[in-house]
Amino acid sequence: MDLREKLNILGDAAKYDVSCSSSGSNRCAPKDGLGSGCGAGICHTWAADGRCISLLKVLFSNACKYDCAYCVNRRSNDVPRATFTPKELVDLTLEFYRRNYIEGLFLSSAVIGTPDYTMELLIKVAKELRLTHHFGGYIHLKAIPGASSSLLYEAGLYADRSSVNIEIPSDAQLQYLAPEKNYASIYRPMNFLAERKLEYNSERRLGSRFAPKFLPAGQSTQMIVGASGETDLQILKLSAGFYKQQQMKRVYFSGYIPINADKRLPVITTKPPLLREHRLYQADWLMRFYNFRHDEILDERNPNLDVDLDPKAMWALRHPEFFPIDLQTADYEMILRVPGIGVKSANLIVASRRYGKIRLEALKKMGVVLKRAKYFIYHPDTPANLRRLYPEMLRPLLIARPKPAQLDLFNDAPLALPSSAASQWNVVQPPKLALPA
Amino acid sequence: MLSIHYDSSFDGFLSSVFEIYRQHLDVGEFVAERSYETEQGTVSADLFMQPFHIETNEDSARRLKRAIVNAASEDVLSLLMAAFRSEGAGVEMGILAYLRKLFAGLEPNYAKNPASAEMLPLFKLAQSVRHEAGGMLGMVRFNKSPDGTYVAEIEPKYDIVEMIVGHFRGRFPNGRWAILDSRRGYGVYYDGRRTNFVSMPDPVAMSRAIASGAPPDEFTRMWKSYYDTMAIKERLNPRLLRQCLPVRYWKHLPERQQSLAGVEVGSGRGEKRGNIGFASQSLPSVVAQRNAAGAMALPSHA
Repeated sequence: MDLREKLNILGDAAKYDVSCSSSGSNRCAPKDGLGSGCGAGICHTWAADGRCISLLKVLFSNACKYDCAYCVNRRSNDVPRATFTPKELVDLTLEFYRRNYIEGLFLSSAVIGTPDYTMELLIKVAKELRLTHHFGGYIHLKAIPGASSSLLYEAGLYADRSSVNIEIPSDAQLQYLAPEKNYASIYRPMNFLAERKLEYNSERRLGSRFAPKFLPAGQSTQMIVGASGETDLQILKLSAGFYKQQQMKRVYFSGYIPINADKRLPVITTKPPLLREHRLYQADWLMRFYNFRHDEILDERNPNLDVDLDPKAMWALRHPEFFPIDLQTADYEMILRVPGIGVKSANLIVASRRYGKIRLEALKKMGVVLKRAKYFIYHPDTPANLRRLYPEMLRPLLIARPKPAQLDLFNDAPLALPSSAASQWNVVQPPKLALPA
Repeated sequence: MLSIHYDSSFDGFLSSVFEIYRQHLDVGEFVAERSYETEQGTVSADLFMQPFHIETNEDSARRLKRAIVNAASEDVLSLLMAAFRSEGAGVEMGILAYLRKLFAGLEPNYAKNPASAEMLPLFKLAQSVRHEAGGMLGMVRFNKSPDGTYVAEIEPKYDIVEMIVGHFRGRFPNGRWAILDSRRGYGVYYDGRRTNFVSMPDPVAMSRAIASGAPPDEFTRMWKSYYDTMAIKERLNPRLLRQCLPVRYWKHLPERQQSLAGVEVGSGRGEKRGNIGFASQSLPSVVAQRNAAGAMALPSHA
């Protein structure tokens, strides 16, 4: 099997891993080496599904000994199997890096032999890149659940970021779908890495500049959405816990794509829940950049996110007591909570309001989405009809109307209009086309 | 009214501003003398303006820079430089208007207000220039030439080559590489120790020389096939792809080049096509079309 074929098989096997960030690590190129880290992260290209590709994301091997129901590489699947040699992978990474195709390496692997053996192989690749080739680019290493602590620690010395995937948002469901895994075995490496990172941070803070760097870009994790029956509240609560306790940098959600026919999983024709995944990411952003707590976004009475409205608008409609706010005097935190105002515009508003009144015109130029924001802010230009609006009146105004679609000229099927629209407009069916044969 | 001609560099522009203050010139527009075409053009649009050439003077540019830093800050100076790189029509007049108000000193703290009428458009412009420069860090694609030099060709919308060179010097300090802007006919070459600016008057010849000097190799082909496997077909989203990776960049990305054949480019707004297409047609017009088609079909049927 040649290298190109291997790369295709092992890239294909790794593509369901969502994480592809290259941020959080600043590094100058080592002496006699190449490669640097850019704190903001750099996207190098985007795949046809719109996901960014910034790291060479591959598995070391896809010959797995586990049999997890949701995974494409499970033992019982009939897929081509391949395994890299460390040298092949190192050469590939360096050559791609020199051509500026990638920002670094994302290395994961199926479990071959024992977890320890698999982890050793991953470390070997990272070590060779860092020590032999003086590679300063980004390295993301998967921590294999069940690997020994000393190996995890060694991985942390060479990798920028490490991750253990929680996979399914509840323990019972995980054990049901992946008989060889449970939460305890996943939390153990996570907690171990989080503790070492804390130790390292305190050591650096005490002034030891030469303490070896340990996972400078922290940890991340990923969970599959829609494979088992968890609510959005459970998912957000779990991820809020990760941010707080394990000091995760990111929690990724992956809408379940049916790859395997398995009676424990949704049927194979299920569409991936892309909109739900999108809403979860929006909620995740609210927690990370907008100072929202997870129990503010969702609670026991509303355990799921609204499909039609983004979580911020949903929160605003549930809390009419805070609105409308006066942009001239409100706190930054409160301005951030207005639907349609993001971090950049909020900063601009706060920086500029002391020098003059903020008018609608200026807001538009700053990039505020007035379409949504106008119902929640008070300013001198507010038209009288927007001054007292109730949540019930606002909801239909905020929901995006469906886009008009092109009708097919040569299709005999009757017009499929939504029933309400049909009754409103009383559409007359156009005569059917009768084209000569 | 004068049409100020200068050599298209930022220092040249600052020297012009310096002269405008010193000689109390009445400025109508700026014309940058560039060797390549931009949307702004190199000829004055107004017949009745008198051309007035100003030589670049580094000393006066330096004095003006110091004055800007004193009156505002380093950040404002770098923001003006970024906005200037957009090469947009009228950006020079925008900067001049800002500087006039800044140096007049009539409004207290004018320099600190990012949302003033003069500053906000420059701020937005600088934002989009910096956004492109940041994105270009990932979208430069090197090919290896036989002598071991890595060569990349780019065609950015704004003049950002100088903004990204530092990044690559830090990343590949021991290699030899070149990044060439074939739209503007110049670029940088790094020989392992320092960067040199190189220019080529004919962009087409430059582009051809790069393509023949550093052709795609086996790694390029591996990268392409790797790229194709990475897309999950259940999640295909062409609209998101174009939003993140506008079609105007595809030409120099080996992984997207073959998709370029299916898209119309060149008209600048090419990336907006595809989805808008027919959706803007309203329901009545479609029904009318169907009726017309039906009416046309009737005679042959009868």
